[in-house]
Amino acid sequence: MQNYLPDKFFKNSQKEFFISDTNSGHSVFATTITLPVFSFPEIIPRNLFSFSGTNDGQSGPNPRFKMILWFIIAGTKGGINRAKILNLIKDTPMNANKIATVLNLDHKTIVHHVKILSKNDLVIKAEKDYAAEYQLTKIMKENQSVLEEIMQKIGTK
Amino acid sequence: MVDFMLAAVVAAFLNIGLLLVAIGTYVQNMRVIRSYYTSGLVLVASLLMIQNVVIVLFWSTLYMDDKALMMSADMVAHYLFAINVIQTIGLSILVWITRR
Repeated sequence: MQNYLPDKFFKNSQKEFFISDTNSGHSVFATTITLPVFSFPEIIPRNLFSFSGTNDGQSGPNPRFKMILWFIIAGTKGGINRAKILNLIKDTPMNANKIATVLNLDHKTIVHHVKILSKNDLVIKAEKDYAAEYQLTKIMKENQSVLEEIMQKIGTK
Repeated sequence: MVDFMLAAVVAAFLNIGLLLVAIGTYVQNMRVIRSYYTSGLVLVASLLMIQNVVIVLFWSTLYMDDKALMMSADMVAHYLFAINVIQTIGLSILVWITRR
């Protein structure tokens, strides 16, 4: 069995020790083999369930981030407006009021969209102020090519 | 006694309603963004819709017309009910996320 499993599973699993036989007064050599103890970090790779924004040295956008952005934009009701907001603040941070003016949308709508976007870690408030400007988060900036791809598909519609 | 078959059909109707809302949103988005992603969403939701329409059609035609089939279908109706209710819960969450 040991041949089929990596050595680390058998670390400290086999112990040899002497048991003193109380009846005869002799020591008896005994070997016990305990079952290998698995711990989840050993079997399941780290970062499998957590989403780290880094690309881990890969080129191009992070595929998992791409999926999230596509769903938020193409799979939800106000997605198109969310894409327009992201595209608007990608170069110059703006506050909700200014975004509403530029996009010709209701201030309340913008506040709602920005709330969803910040909950999904796409935009961040510059400071904790009422009229604070919103800007793209680090992970969003790193994967801006996905947004550009989607904006190209939206075009001028 | 609870008529599980009727409850399952009610759940199927609820699923159809939820899927109509989801497809409506996806089609609106597809008209602006034409891509594999948006077409895929519409396709998946439509296939689920067909599944639920088939359940309703099965109930209204085969099940209602055939006494023998009705008896044997009633024996497994609670399974169909469980499947449909789980789908209703899942679709409710999906529609909630989609319409936010």
